[in-house]
Amino acid sequence: MEEGPNRYAVELESVSTYYYGEKRPAIQNINLKIDVGSLALIIGPNGAGKTTLLETVLGLLRPREGRIKVLGYRIPKEVLKARALCAYLPQDFMKPPMEPFTAREVVAMGLASNSFMGMLSDDDWRKVDRSLELLGMLEYANKPFGKLSGGQQQKILLARALVREPKLLLLDEPFSAIDQKTRSYIVSEVFPDLLRKGCTILLVSHDSESLLINPSVIIRMRDGFVEQVIIRNVHVAH
Amino acid sequence: MFMLLINSIISGILAGGLCGAVGAMCNRLRLTTIAFSIAHAALAGSALALTLGADMISLAILFALISATILGPLADQLRIPLDLVSMILFSMYNALTFIFILSAPGQVLMTESVGQLLWGSVLAIRPTYIAYLLLTFVIILAFLTLFWGKINSLLFDIKLAEAEGVNVRIYKYVILIIAGAAITLALRMTGGFLVFSLLYIPAAASLQLQANMKWIIAASWLLGSTSASMGLLMSFLYDLPAGSCITIAALIILAGASVYSRLRVSLAVEGRPR
Repeated sequence: MEEGPNRYAVELESVSTYYYGEKRPAIQNINLKIDVGSLALIIGPNGAGKTTLLETVLGLLRPREGRIKVLGYRIPKEVLKARALCAYLPQDFMKPPMEPFTAREVVAMGLASNSFMGMLSDDDWRKVDRSLELLGMLEYANKPFGKLSGGQQQKILLARALVREPKLLLLDEPFSAIDQKTRSYIVSEVFPDLLRKGCTILLVSHDSESLLINPSVIIRMRDGFVEQVIIRNVHVAH
Repeated sequence: MFMLLINSIISGILAGGLCGAVGAMCNRLRLTTIAFSIAHAALAGSALALTLGADMISLAILFALISATILGPLADQLRIPLDLVSMILFSMYNALTFIFILSAPGQVLMTESVGQLLWGSVLAIRPTYIAYLLLTFVIILAFLTLFWGKINSLLFDIKLAEAEGVNVRIYKYVILIIAGAAITLALRMTGGFLVFSLLYIPAAASLQLQANMKWIIAASWLLGSTSASMGLLMSFLYDLPAGSCITIAALIILAGASVYSRLRVSLAVEGRPR
Protein backbone atom coordinates (compact mmCIF):
# COMPACT_ATOMS: atom_id res chain seq x y z
CA MET A 1 0.00 0.00 0.00
CA GLU A 2 1.32 3.46 -0.88
CA GLU A 3 2.63 5.76 1.85
CA GLY A 4 1.61 9.41 2.06
CA PRO A 5 -1.30 11.60 3.01
CA ASN A 6 -3.88 9.55 1.09
CA ARG A 7 -2.87 6.13 2.25
CA TYR A 8 -6.13 5.96 4.16
CA ALA A 9 -9.55 6.29 2.63
CA VAL A 10 -11.13 6.86 6.03
CA GLU A 11 -9.50 8.12 9.22
CA LEU A 12 -11.40 8.57 12.47
CA GLU A 13 -9.75 9.81 15.62
CA SER A 14 -11.63 9.65 18.95
CA VAL A 15 -14.97 10.23 17.21
CA SER A 16 -18.20 10.32 19.22
CA THR A 17 -21.60 11.10 17.70
CA TYR A 18 -24.73 11.89 19.67
CA TYR A 19 -28.28 12.11 18.34
CA TYR A 20 -29.97 15.38 19.19
CA GLY A 21 -31.33 15.39 22.74
CA GLU A 22 -29.60 12.12 23.65
CA LYS A 23 -27.14 11.98 26.55
CA ARG A 24 -25.65 8.66 25.49
CA PRO A 25 -23.56 8.71 22.29
CA ALA A 26 -24.65 6.53 19.38
CA ILE A 27 -20.97 5.86 18.65
CA GLN A 28 -18.20 6.56 21.13
CA ASN A 29 -14.48 7.13 20.92
CA ILE A 30 -14.05 5.51 17.51
CA ASN A 31 -10.48 5.23 16.22
CA LEU A 32 -10.22 3.70 12.77
CA LYS A 33 -7.95 3.86 9.75
CA ILE A 34 -9.08 2.11 6.60
CA ASP A 35 -6.59 1.67 3.78
CA VAL A 36 -7.38 2.84 0.27
CA GLY A 37 -8.55 -0.09 -1.87
CA SER A 38 -9.76 -2.27 0.98
CA LEU A 39 -13.09 -3.91 1.62
CA ALA A 40 -14.11 -3.24 5.21
CA LEU A 41 -17.02 -5.19 6.64
CA ILE A 42 -18.75 -3.55 9.62
CA ILE A 43 -20.71 -6.08 11.65
CA GLY A 44 -22.61 -6.07 14.90
CA PRO A 45 -26.09 -6.47 16.36
CA ASN A 46 -28.93 -3.99 15.85
CA GLY A 47 -28.24 -0.71 17.63
CA ALA A 48 -24.47 -1.28 17.63
CA GLY A 49 -23.90 2.02 15.80
CA LYS A 50 -23.05 0.69 12.31
CA THR A 51 -25.33 3.06 10.38
CA THR A 52 -24.35 5.98 12.63
CA LEU A 53 -20.71 5.25 11.83
CA LEU A 54 -21.37 5.34 8.05
CA GLU A 55 -23.42 8.54 8.31
CA THR A 56 -20.76 10.17 10.47
CA VAL A 57 -18.09 9.29 7.92
CA LEU A 58 -20.20 10.91 5.19
CA GLY A 59 -20.85 13.99 7.33
CA LEU A 60 -24.61 13.35 7.41
CA LEU A 61 -24.29 13.27 11.19
CA ARG A 62 -21.97 15.73 12.86
CA PRO A 63 -19.71 14.24 15.56
CA ARG A 64 -19.55 16.06 18.87
CA GLU A 65 -15.95 15.01 19.41
CA GLY A 66 -13.04 13.79 17.35
CA ARG A 67 -11.59 14.27 13.89
CA ILE A 68 -12.55 12.69 10.58
CA LYS A 69 -10.82 12.60 7.23
CA VAL A 70 -12.32 11.03 4.13
CA LEU A 71 -10.05 10.54 1.10
CA GLY A 72 -7.79 13.21 2.56
CA TYR A 73 -10.58 15.75 3.06
CA ARG A 74 -11.51 17.00 6.53
CA ILE A 75 -15.09 16.41 7.58
CA PRO A 76 -17.22 18.51 7.93
CA LYS A 77 -15.10 21.39 6.57
CA GLU A 78 -14.46 19.84 3.14
CA VAL A 79 -17.45 17.53 3.15
CA LEU A 80 -18.76 18.48 -0.33
CA LYS A 81 -15.40 17.65 -1.92
CA ALA A 82 -15.30 14.31 -0.13
CA ARG A 83 -18.91 13.44 -0.97
CA ALA A 84 -18.26 14.09 -4.67
CA LEU A 85 -15.91 11.08 -4.55
CA CYS A 86 -18.26 8.87 -2.53
CA ALA A 87 -21.37 6.85 -3.22
CA TYR A 88 -23.87 5.73 -0.60
CA LEU A 89 -26.57 3.12 -0.50
CA PRO A 90 -28.78 3.70 2.55
CA GLN A 91 -30.46 1.01 4.60
CA ASP A 92 -34.09 -0.05 3.90
CA PHE A 93 -34.56 2.45 1.09
CA MET A 94 -38.01 1.91 -0.38
CA LYS A 95 -40.24 4.31 -2.30
CA PRO A 96 -44.04 4.03 -2.74
CA PRO A 97 -45.65 3.03 -6.08
CA MET A 98 -46.68 6.62 -6.97
CA GLU A 99 -43.06 7.76 -7.14
CA PRO A 100 -42.79 10.00 -10.26
CA PHE A 101 -39.29 8.93 -11.38
CA THR A 102 -38.17 6.17 -13.72
CA ALA A 103 -35.37 3.78 -12.77
CA ARG A 104 -33.13 5.37 -15.42
CA GLU A 105 -33.74 8.86 -13.98
CA VAL A 106 -32.85 7.62 -10.50
CA VAL A 107 -29.52 6.21 -11.71
CA ALA A 108 -28.81 9.41 -13.68
CA MET A 109 -29.18 11.44 -10.47
CA GLY A 110 -25.97 9.78 -9.27
CA LEU A 111 -24.11 11.57 -12.07
CA ALA A 112 -26.14 14.79 -11.98
CA SER A 113 -25.05 15.53 -8.41
CA ASN A 114 -21.42 15.58 -9.56
CA SER A 115 -21.86 17.48 -12.83
CA PHE A 116 -21.97 21.22 -13.35
CA MET A 117 -25.53 22.44 -12.71
CA GLY A 118 -26.66 18.79 -12.88
CA MET A 119 -26.64 18.60 -16.67
CA LEU A 120 -25.80 15.27 -18.33
CA SER A 121 -24.10 14.61 -21.67
CA ASP A 122 -24.87 11.77 -24.10
CA ASP A 123 -21.82 9.99 -22.75
CA ASP A 124 -23.24 10.27 -19.21
CA TRP A 125 -26.50 8.66 -20.33
CA ARG A 126 -24.49 5.79 -21.91
CA LYS A 127 -22.77 5.32 -18.53
CA VAL A 128 -26.20 5.21 -16.86
CA ASP A 129 -27.35 2.47 -19.24
CA ARG A 130 -24.10 0.51 -18.75
CA SER A 131 -24.56 0.66 -14.99
CA LEU A 132 -28.14 -0.60 -15.32
CA GLU A 133 -26.94 -3.37 -17.63
CA LEU A 134 -24.22 -4.41 -15.17
CA LEU A 135 -26.90 -5.24 -12.61
CA GLY A 136 -29.30 -6.74 -15.14
CA MET A 137 -31.77 -3.86 -14.80
CA LEU A 138 -31.62 -2.30 -18.27
CA GLU A 139 -34.99 -3.78 -19.25
CA TYR A 140 -36.56 -1.92 -16.29
CA ALA A 141 -34.93 1.41 -17.17
CA ASN A 142 -38.15 3.19 -18.11
CA LYS A 143 -40.33 1.64 -15.38
CA PRO A 144 -41.46 3.89 -12.53
CA PHE A 145 -39.03 3.38 -9.65
CA GLY A 146 -41.81 2.95 -7.08
CA LYS A 147 -43.42 0.13 -9.05
CA LEU A 148 -40.28 -2.04 -8.82
CA SER A 149 -39.93 -4.66 -6.08
CA GLY A 150 -37.77 -4.01 -3.00
CA GLY A 151 -34.88 -6.02 -4.45
CA GLN A 152 -35.14 -4.27 -7.82
CA GLN A 153 -35.16 -0.85 -6.11
CA GLN A 154 -32.04 -1.88 -4.18
CA LYS A 155 -30.33 -2.89 -7.46
CA ILE A 156 -31.25 0.45 -9.04
CA LEU A 157 -29.72 2.29 -6.09
CA LEU A 158 -26.61 0.15 -6.35
CA ALA A 159 -26.46 1.04 -10.08
CA ARG A 160 -26.77 4.70 -9.04
CA ALA A 161 -23.86 4.27 -6.62
CA LEU A 162 -21.71 2.47 -9.22
CA VAL A 163 -22.33 4.98 -12.02
CA ARG A 164 -20.53 7.58 -9.90
CA GLU A 165 -17.30 5.52 -10.18
CA PRO A 166 -16.69 6.25 -6.49
CA LYS A 167 -13.41 6.23 -4.63
CA LEU A 168 -15.31 5.30 -1.48
CA LEU A 169 -18.46 3.20 -1.59
CA LEU A 170 -20.56 3.07 1.58
CA LEU A 171 -23.15 0.32 1.61
CA ASP A 172 -25.64 -0.09 4.45
CA GLU A 173 -27.19 -3.57 4.40
CA PRO A 174 -27.09 -3.60 0.58
CA PHE A 175 -28.30 -7.17 0.18
CA SER A 176 -31.29 -7.16 2.51
CA ALA A 177 -33.80 -7.57 -0.36
CA ILE A 178 -31.54 -8.93 -3.10
CA ASP A 179 -31.73 -12.58 -4.21
CA GLN A 180 -28.86 -15.02 -3.56
CA LYS A 181 -27.80 -15.24 -7.23
CA THR A 182 -27.39 -11.46 -7.57
CA ARG A 183 -25.60 -11.23 -4.21
CA SER A 184 -23.05 -13.81 -5.38
CA TYR A 185 -22.58 -11.94 -8.66
CA ILE A 186 -22.05 -8.60 -6.91
CA VAL A 187 -19.62 -10.07 -4.38
CA SER A 188 -17.64 -12.16 -6.85
CA GLU A 189 -17.65 -9.85 -9.90
CA VAL A 190 -18.62 -6.26 -9.06
CA PHE A 191 -16.74 -5.78 -5.77
CA PRO A 192 -13.37 -7.20 -6.98
CA ASP A 193 -13.59 -5.00 -10.07
CA LEU A 194 -14.17 -1.90 -7.92
CA LEU A 195 -11.31 -2.82 -5.58
CA ARG A 196 -8.97 -3.32 -8.55
CA LYS A 197 -9.81 0.23 -9.64
CA GLY A 198 -8.73 1.55 -6.21
CA CYS A 199 -12.18 1.98 -4.70
CA THR A 200 -12.56 1.43 -0.96
CA ILE A 201 -15.74 -0.30 0.17
CA LEU A 202 -17.34 0.07 3.61
CA LEU A 203 -20.10 -2.46 3.95
CA VAL A 204 -22.47 -2.71 6.89
CA SER A 205 -24.10 -6.02 7.63
CA HIS A 206 -25.61 -7.82 10.58
CA ASP A 207 -26.46 -11.27 9.27
CA SER A 208 -25.10 -14.29 7.45
CA GLU A 209 -24.94 -12.47 4.11
CA SER A 210 -21.47 -11.42 5.23
CA LEU A 211 -20.34 -15.03 4.83
CA LEU A 212 -20.26 -14.53 1.07
CA ILE A 213 -17.89 -11.61 1.36
CA ASN A 214 -14.13 -11.81 1.59
CA PRO A 215 -13.24 -8.58 3.43
CA SER A 216 -9.75 -7.30 4.13
CA VAL A 217 -10.93 -5.69 7.37
CA ILE A 218 -13.69 -6.76 9.73
CA ILE A 219 -14.90 -4.16 12.22
CA ARG A 220 -17.06 -5.60 14.96
CA MET A 221 -19.24 -3.05 16.79
CA ARG A 222 -21.29 -3.28 19.96
CA ASP A 223 -23.15 -0.59 21.95
CA GLY A 224 -21.57 2.26 19.99
CA PHE A 225 -18.01 1.04 20.44
CA VAL A 226 -15.62 -0.72 18.08
CA GLU A 227 -15.21 -4.02 19.88
CA GLN A 228 -12.70 -5.62 17.56
CA VAL A 229 -10.85 -4.91 14.30
CA ILE A 230 -9.60 -7.91 12.38
CA ILE A 231 -7.15 -7.27 9.53
CA ARG A 232 -7.12 -10.15 7.09
CA ASN A 233 -4.52 -10.92 4.47
CA VAL A 234 -6.67 -10.76 1.37
CA HIS A 235 -5.03 -10.44 -2.00
CA VAL A 236 -6.63 -8.05 -4.48
CA ALA A 237 -5.08 -8.23 -7.95
CA HIS A 238 -4.17 -4.72 -9.15
CA MET B 1 -62.04 48.28 -18.49
CA PHE B 2 -60.85 46.06 -21.35
CA MET B 3 -57.20 46.68 -20.37
CA LEU B 4 -57.98 45.72 -16.77
CA LEU B 5 -59.44 42.43 -18.00
CA ILE B 6 -56.39 41.72 -20.21
CA ASN B 7 -54.03 42.60 -17.35
CA SER B 8 -56.00 40.32 -15.02
CA ILE B 9 -55.72 37.38 -17.40
CA ILE B 10 -51.97 37.94 -17.95
CA SER B 11 -51.44 38.19 -14.18
CA GLY B 12 -53.50 35.08 -13.61
CA ILE B 13 -51.45 33.11 -16.11
CA LEU B 14 -48.15 34.24 -14.58
CA ALA B 15 -48.97 34.17 -10.85
CA GLY B 16 -51.07 31.01 -11.08
CA GLY B 17 -48.29 29.24 -12.96
CA LEU B 18 -45.65 30.34 -10.48
CA CYS B 19 -47.68 29.22 -7.50
CA GLY B 20 -48.60 25.92 -9.16
CA ALA B 21 -44.96 25.07 -9.90
CA VAL B 22 -43.71 26.20 -6.49
CA GLY B 23 -46.57 24.36 -4.77
CA ALA B 24 -45.68 21.09 -6.55
CA MET B 25 -42.05 21.40 -5.41
CA CYS B 26 -42.95 22.37 -1.84
CA ASN B 27 -45.40 19.48 -1.64
CA ARG B 28 -42.72 17.05 -2.83
CA LEU B 29 -40.17 18.44 -0.36
CA ARG B 30 -42.79 18.34 2.43
CA LEU B 31 -42.60 22.10 2.88
CA THR B 32 -46.34 22.67 2.60
CA THR B 33 -46.68 24.59 5.86
CA ILE B 34 -44.03 27.12 4.82
CA ALA B 35 -46.72 28.76 2.70
CA PHE B 36 -48.64 29.66 5.86
CA SER B 37 -45.82 31.61 7.41
CA ILE B 38 -44.70 33.26 4.15
CA ALA B 39 -48.25 34.28 3.17
CA HIS B 40 -48.91 35.69 6.62
CA ALA B 41 -45.56 37.47 6.63
CA ALA B 42 -46.70 39.26 3.46
CA LEU B 43 -50.03 39.95 5.15
CA ALA B 44 -48.26 41.47 8.17
CA GLY B 45 -46.08 43.54 5.81
CA SER B 46 -49.17 44.84 3.98
CA ALA B 47 -50.89 45.63 7.28
CA LEU B 48 -47.82 47.55 8.43
CA ALA B 49 -47.92 49.48 5.16
CA LEU B 50 -51.54 50.46 5.94
CA THR B 51 -50.47 51.74 9.35
CA LEU B 52 -47.49 53.65 8.00
CA GLY B 53 -49.17 54.74 4.79
CA ALA B 54 -46.36 53.07 2.82
CA ASP B 55 -46.45 51.00 -0.41
CA MET B 56 -48.17 47.68 0.33
CA ILE B 57 -46.44 45.56 -2.33
CA SER B 58 -42.94 46.62 -1.26
CA LEU B 59 -43.48 45.93 2.44
CA ALA B 60 -45.33 42.67 1.72
CA ILE B 61 -42.46 41.45 -0.48
CA LEU B 62 -39.90 42.55 2.11
CA PHE B 63 -41.65 40.70 4.95
CA ALA B 64 -42.20 37.56 2.84
CA LEU B 65 -38.61 37.46 1.61
CA ILE B 66 -37.24 37.98 5.13
CA SER B 67 -39.49 35.18 6.33
CA ALA B 68 -38.47 32.83 3.50
CA THR B 69 -34.81 33.63 4.12
CA ILE B 70 -34.83 33.08 7.87
CA LEU B 71 -37.03 29.94 7.90
CA GLY B 72 -34.29 27.49 6.89
CA PRO B 73 -31.45 28.91 9.04
CA LEU B 74 -33.83 29.26 12.02
CA ALA B 75 -34.84 25.60 11.77
CA ASP B 76 -31.17 24.63 11.55
CA GLN B 77 -30.19 26.81 14.50
CA LEU B 78 -33.08 25.79 16.75
CA ARG B 79 -32.74 22.18 15.56
CA ILE B 80 -36.48 21.78 15.17
CA PRO B 81 -38.40 20.78 12.02
CA LEU B 82 -39.03 23.44 9.39
CA ASP B 83 -42.80 22.90 9.68
CA LEU B 84 -42.75 23.78 13.36
CA VAL B 85 -40.69 26.94 12.80
CA SER B 86 -43.12 27.85 10.04
CA MET B 87 -46.14 27.53 12.33
CA ILE B 88 -44.42 29.59 15.06
CA LEU B 89 -43.77 32.39 12.56
CA PHE B 90 -47.33 32.02 11.22
CA SER B 91 -48.73 32.75 14.71
CA MET B 92 -46.36 35.67 15.18
CA TYR B 93 -47.32 37.26 11.83
CA ASN B 94 -51.04 36.83 12.57
CA ALA B 95 -50.57 38.62 15.88
CA LEU B 96 -48.63 41.43 14.15
CA THR B 97 -51.26 41.72 11.37
CA PHE B 98 -54.09 42.32 13.88
CA ILE B 99 -52.00 44.81 15.84
CA PHE B 100 -51.01 46.74 12.67
CA ILE B 101 -54.59 46.81 11.29
CA LEU B 102 -56.04 48.04 14.57
CA SER B 103 -53.26 50.62 14.93
CA ALA B 104 -53.88 52.01 11.44
CA PRO B 105 -55.30 55.53 11.31
CA GLY B 106 -59.06 56.00 10.65
CA GLN B 107 -61.68 53.37 9.95
CA VAL B 108 -59.18 51.17 8.20
CA LEU B 109 -61.11 47.93 8.77
CA MET B 110 -63.80 49.23 6.46
CA THR B 111 -61.46 50.29 3.68
CA GLU B 112 -60.99 48.54 0.39
CA SER B 113 -57.27 48.16 1.14
CA VAL B 114 -57.97 45.71 3.94
CA GLY B 115 -60.40 43.87 1.71
CA GLN B 116 -57.71 43.52 -0.98
CA LEU B 117 -55.31 42.30 1.67
CA LEU B 118 -57.59 39.61 2.98
CA TRP B 119 -59.47 38.30 -0.05
CA GLY B 120 -57.75 39.78 -3.10
CA SER B 121 -58.96 42.02 -5.89
CA VAL B 122 -58.61 42.49 -9.64
CA LEU B 123 -58.16 46.19 -8.89
CA ALA B 124 -54.79 45.33 -7.35
CA ILE B 125 -53.47 44.41 -10.79
CA ARG B 126 -51.34 47.25 -12.20
CA PRO B 127 -48.56 47.32 -14.85
CA THR B 128 -45.85 47.39 -12.12
CA TYR B 129 -47.38 44.28 -10.60
CA ILE B 130 -47.24 42.50 -13.98
CA ALA B 131 -43.59 43.55 -14.33
CA TYR B 132 -42.78 42.02 -10.91
CA LEU B 133 -44.59 38.85 -11.93
CA LEU B 134 -42.76 38.62 -15.25
CA LEU B 135 -39.38 39.07 -13.57
CA THR B 136 -40.13 36.37 -10.98
CA PHE B 137 -41.45 34.09 -13.74
CA VAL B 138 -38.17 34.41 -15.71
CA ILE B 139 -36.03 33.84 -12.58
CA ILE B 140 -37.94 30.70 -11.54
CA LEU B 141 -38.00 29.28 -15.07
CA ALA B 142 -34.23 29.87 -15.42
CA PHE B 143 -33.54 28.28 -12.02
CA LEU B 144 -35.61 25.20 -12.86
CA THR B 145 -34.16 24.80 -16.35
CA LEU B 146 -30.51 25.34 -15.45
CA PHE B 147 -30.40 23.31 -12.26
CA TRP B 148 -33.02 20.68 -13.07
CA GLY B 149 -30.60 17.72 -12.68
CA LYS B 150 -29.75 18.69 -9.11
CA ILE B 151 -33.30 19.78 -8.21
CA ASN B 152 -34.57 16.43 -9.53
CA SER B 153 -32.15 14.61 -7.24
CA LEU B 154 -33.36 16.69 -4.29
CA LEU B 155 -37.00 16.03 -5.14
CA PHE B 156 -36.36 12.27 -5.28
CA ASP B 157 -34.63 11.98 -1.92
CA ILE B 158 -33.02 14.78 0.07
CA LYS B 159 -30.76 12.56 2.17
CA LEU B 160 -29.39 10.69 -0.84
CA ALA B 161 -28.81 13.96 -2.70
CA GLU B 162 -26.96 15.31 0.34
CA ALA B 163 -24.86 12.15 0.61
CA GLU B 164 -23.84 12.58 -3.02
CA GLY B 165 -22.57 16.12 -2.50
CA VAL B 166 -25.55 18.25 -3.58
CA ASN B 167 -25.56 21.38 -1.42
CA VAL B 168 -29.04 20.61 -0.14
CA ARG B 169 -29.17 23.54 2.26
CA ILE B 170 -28.55 26.13 -0.48
CA TYR B 171 -31.10 24.59 -2.85
CA LYS B 172 -33.71 24.40 -0.08
CA TYR B 173 -33.14 28.04 0.84
CA VAL B 174 -33.41 29.11 -2.81
CA ILE B 175 -36.67 27.17 -3.18
CA LEU B 176 -38.00 28.82 0.00
CA ILE B 177 -37.10 32.30 -1.27
CA ILE B 178 -38.67 31.56 -4.67
CA ALA B 179 -41.80 30.32 -2.84
CA GLY B 180 -41.79 33.55 -0.84
CA ALA B 181 -41.69 35.68 -3.99
CA ALA B 182 -44.45 33.67 -5.73
CA ILE B 183 -46.73 33.73 -2.66
CA THR B 184 -46.31 37.46 -2.10
CA LEU B 185 -47.20 38.25 -5.68
CA ALA B 186 -50.17 35.90 -5.77
CA LEU B 187 -51.40 37.41 -2.51
CA ARG B 188 -52.43 40.58 -4.33
CA MET B 189 -54.93 38.64 -6.42
CA THR B 190 -56.09 35.95 -4.00
CA GLY B 191 -55.70 37.65 -0.63
CA GLY B 192 -54.01 36.25 2.47
CA PHE B 193 -56.67 33.67 3.25
CA LEU B 194 -56.86 31.99 -0.14
CA VAL B 195 -53.33 32.06 -1.54
CA PHE B 196 -52.98 28.39 -0.55
CA SER B 197 -55.62 27.47 -3.13
CA LEU B 198 -53.19 28.41 -5.92
CA LEU B 199 -50.28 26.70 -4.22
CA TYR B 200 -51.74 23.34 -3.40
CA ILE B 201 -54.92 22.66 -5.38
CA PRO B 202 -53.09 22.71 -8.79
CA ALA B 203 -50.34 20.55 -7.24
CA ALA B 204 -52.97 18.05 -6.07
CA ALA B 205 -54.65 18.08 -9.50
CA SER B 206 -51.33 17.45 -11.30
CA LEU B 207 -50.70 14.41 -9.08
CA GLN B 208 -53.97 12.92 -10.41
CA LEU B 209 -52.41 12.85 -13.87
CA GLN B 210 -49.65 10.41 -12.77
CA ALA B 211 -46.78 11.75 -14.81
CA ASN B 212 -43.06 11.97 -14.11
CA MET B 213 -41.71 14.75 -11.88
CA LYS B 214 -40.95 17.17 -14.70
CA TRP B 215 -44.50 16.82 -16.05
CA ILE B 216 -46.03 17.10 -12.59
CA ILE B 217 -44.38 20.52 -12.17
CA ALA B 218 -45.31 21.54 -15.73
CA ALA B 219 -48.92 20.35 -15.25
CA SER B 220 -49.15 22.12 -11.90
CA TRP B 221 -47.84 25.29 -13.59
CA LEU B 222 -50.45 24.98 -16.35
CA LEU B 223 -53.33 24.15 -14.00
CA GLY B 224 -52.36 27.01 -11.69
CA SER B 225 -52.37 29.40 -14.65
CA THR B 226 -55.77 28.12 -15.79
CA SER B 227 -57.29 28.32 -12.27
CA ALA B 228 -56.06 31.87 -11.71
CA SER B 229 -57.07 33.25 -15.12
CA MET B 230 -60.49 31.50 -14.99
CA GLY B 231 -61.05 32.77 -11.44
CA LEU B 232 -60.09 36.34 -12.29
CA LEU B 233 -62.39 36.27 -15.31
CA MET B 234 -65.25 35.07 -13.06
CA SER B 235 -64.42 37.77 -10.51
CA PHE B 236 -64.41 40.40 -13.26
CA LEU B 237 -67.67 39.24 -14.84
CA TYR B 238 -69.72 38.70 -11.66
CA ASP B 239 -68.05 41.27 -9.37
CA LEU B 240 -67.07 38.66 -6.78
CA PRO B 241 -63.89 38.51 -4.61
CA ALA B 242 -60.95 37.39 -6.79
CA GLY B 243 -59.54 34.95 -4.19
CA SER B 244 -62.84 33.10 -3.82
CA CYS B 245 -63.33 32.81 -7.60
CA ILE B 246 -59.77 31.50 -8.08
CA THR B 247 -60.31 28.90 -5.35
CA ILE B 248 -63.58 27.74 -6.93
CA ALA B 249 -61.93 27.53 -10.38
CA ALA B 250 -59.02 25.51 -8.90
CA LEU B 251 -61.46 23.13 -7.18
CA ILE B 252 -63.39 22.60 -10.44
CA ILE B 253 -60.09 21.73 -12.18
CA LEU B 254 -59.13 19.35 -9.34
CA ALA B 255 -62.50 17.60 -9.66
CA GLY B 256 -62.02 17.33 -13.45
CA ALA B 257 -58.50 15.90 -13.05
CA SER B 258 -59.76 13.41 -10.48
CA VAL B 259 -62.61 12.22 -12.76
CA TYR B 260 -60.16 11.94 -15.69
CA SER B 261 -57.76 9.93 -13.54
CA ARG B 262 -60.47 7.48 -12.44
CA LEU B 263 -61.78 7.11 -15.99
CA ARG B 264 -58.29 6.41 -17.28
CA VAL B 265 -57.71 3.71 -14.65
CA SER B 266 -61.06 2.01 -15.30
CA LEU B 267 -60.53 2.13 -19.10
CA ALA B 268 -57.08 0.59 -18.66
CA VAL B 269 -58.56 -2.22 -16.52
CA GLU B 270 -61.33 -2.90 -19.07
CA GLY B 271 -58.83 -2.89 -21.93
CA ARG B 272 -56.66 -5.57 -20.31
CA PRO B 273 -56.93 -9.07 -21.86
CA ARG B 274 -58.80 -11.49 -19.57
